[in-house]
Amino acid sequence: MITPFRSHRLRSVNRPALLALTGAGLFLASLDAYVVVTALLPMLKSVNIAVNRPEQATPIITGFLLGYLAVMPVAGGLSDRFGRLRLFAASLALFAFGSFLTASAPSLSQLVTGRVLQGAGGGALVPAVLALAADLYPAGDRSRALGAVSALQEVGSVLGPLWGGLITASSFGWTWIFWINIPVAALLFWALWPEIRTAGEVRRSVNLDWLGALLATAGLALLTLALYAANPEQSPVGQGFIWQAPLAIVFFALFVWHERRTSHPLINVRRFRDSSFSGSALTNAIAGAGLMVALVYIPVLANAVFSMNASSAALLLFRLMLGIPIGALLGGWLAQRLRSYRYVAALGLILAAIGFLMLSGWNEGSLTPHLLGLPLTVADGELFLTGLGLGIEIAPVSAALLDAVGEEERGAGASFLIIMRLIGMLVGFSLVAGFGLWEFHQATAHLLPPLPGLNPNFATQFGIYTLKVKQAIFDEYHLIFRATAIALFIGALVAAGTLRPLPRPRWQ
Amino acid sequence: MRAAGVSLSRVVPAGLAVILALTACGSPPPDATTLLKQSSQRMLHLNGFHFQMQITGFTGSGEPVQSAQGDAHPPDLHARVNLKEGGILLEVEVVFAAGKIYLKSFTGGWQELTADQVAQFFDARTLFDAQAGLFAAMGDTTSPARGNSEKIGGHDTYPVDGQVAAGRMHQLLTLIRDQGTYRATYWIDSADSNLWRARLTGNLFDASNSATITFDFSSHDHPVSVTPPPLG
Repeated sequence: MITPFRSHRLRSVNRPALLALTGAGLFLASLDAYVVVTALLPMLKSVNIAVNRPEQATPIITGFLLGYLAVMPVAGGLSDRFGRLRLFAASLALFAFGSFLTASAPSLSQLVTGRVLQGAGGGALVPAVLALAADLYPAGDRSRALGAVSALQEVGSVLGPLWGGLITASSFGWTWIFWINIPVAALLFWALWPEIRTAGEVRRSVNLDWLGALLATAGLALLTLALYAANPEQSPVGQGFIWQAPLAIVFFALFVWHERRTSHPLINVRRFRDSSFSGSALTNAIAGAGLMVALVYIPVLANAVFSMNASSAALLLFRLMLGIPIGALLGGWLAQRLRSYRYVAALGLILAAIGFLMLSGWNEGSLTPHLLGLPLTVADGELFLTGLGLGIEIAPVSAALLDAVGEEERGAGASFLIIMRLIGMLVGFSLVAGFGLWEFHQATAHLLPPLPGLNPNFATQFGIYTLKVKQAIFDEYHLIFRATAIALFIGALVAAGTLRPLPRPRWQ
Repeated sequence: MRAAGVSLSRVVPAGLAVILALTACGSPPPDATTLLKQSSQRMLHLNGFHFQMQITGFTGSGEPVQSAQGDAHPPDLHARVNLKEGGILLEVEVVFAAGKIYLKSFTGGWQELTADQVAQFFDARTLFDAQAGLFAAMGDTTSPARGNSEKIGGHDTYPVDGQVAAGRMHQLLTLIRDQGTYRATYWIDSADSNLWRARLTGNLFDASNSATITFDFSSHDHPVSVTPPPLG
């Protein structure tokens, strides 16, 4: 984060080829960001975890996010110090190794370790490739290259769940989501090897704020642990919440204290006094949490109560994912046209909140009625609207934050945006997972399953029981989606109240 | 030549001393039958232990149990059992205490089961039964042979390989076929006869497909007391 991209000319190279190859690596990693959401149940099954212990899937998701967050603050500086391509190669290798651990995992602990390493490798790729693109093209000519890299990453993450769902439902099975990364990474490595070996990049000594990165990561790791409800029947948060959460806050406080004193801070914490900066950071985190809830719970709902397989669940989610890039373009255009960040951001968040409210009304018949005689369901429209709203907010919120940090810290600001989004995803999802399952257990605490044996009415009783369980699952989702809608409404208020208007265009 | 002549008179007594010292240090390891008998007795008289059971290979459609883990002080035990139900895995909790059986399933609290009901999926009591269970079956293992020392979870053990009659295993888990014999391997602590691992292999659940059941034990003799859970 932290250091803005310092450009230095590389010796003459085939720029498009270099960008394409490293971009392919980034795309591969971004596919895997949300790839697991449609594969969670088969993944759990293969490490011998029962479907009624879904809380054990939480670390598969939070582990990746945590790995990603741990490297983001230092990856930019590392690429300055060791060279973009060397960091790229190391990150890709780490990502491939994480994929290997995940695919071959005999146990949940190895599965989660693999995901953490995948996250760390994938997370470090982003600044490495962005900085490389900035190096390859001169200042006035690089926005297209940077745009292309960012677009690759966005497209990758939108396609990820679909990709994962299709492979999981195929005869290959979920492990191939991860096995495939290894030959592709090896191929990229082979193609880039001459460049990596002879890279004439200047190594520069960069003042990396290791202590700051360590404090922030320790705080986040503790917070994740505190919020992880390993036993949601008893508690919606972790068993060590009482000491872990305060300790996490101590680490965050130490982080802020350290950042104010150090000469090369990861982040200029004084910026938080600027309400447009902190408002856009908070809004961004809330939107990230909303997206994560949709990403995880739509496939699980599809699976648990609509009995869909992984690929149908992925296609259902794709209706929402499709809305995001369309919304993103629309949001950018609207913000420019209306010359307002705050109202366009608030509009996006309100649309997403309305979308979540509509989704929270789903029942077993929701996927059948057709809309206006078209081969579309009302549900399709609701999913698309939710995605559209989550897309519209991206451009105005990001632009407001980047405007607040100014030219000098733009690179750091861009990383900070990603970090806040991921923190929102991590914290939002952890909370929702814990409280959702806790609520489910509360609701079914006295719902005894009928037992076979000397029971003549077993079949009927079991049918009634199944209906009741499905209803309890629906109730859990309704709660989760309504809570998310409320969070998004709050986000809309924050955005409307804090974001500054667009600055007058001026040429430098 | 001179050197050899000088040393010979010293080498012989020194060599003898070394051999004597070596044999004095490590008495020869007990034979396989003794190991099995000692370990069987040791395990039958523990005040409690932790166990983990895992079934791999072909289990067909008849055998719902995939794995189980818990704490036991036979005949009482408390276990979490993973069951295969139409392609999905479900976890249930079972308690055998004071002669009664309790189940906690997908939702709701504990309910009491009859012996008939529990026999339909998994009567875990028989696993460690003093007469029919695994520890008793160790004593009935035929043609046992001891292997070289192996480490299991950081403990020095002797693996003992042998055959067990299928009928004997059928008593352990009623879905195991009672035809022929199965191969059994026990990893027995060389110091205190604790059984750390036991493995049964053969066409356990199907006449032509093989499967393996592995038991891992730990926390030997840590007192376990299982109390009936509150119902509802």
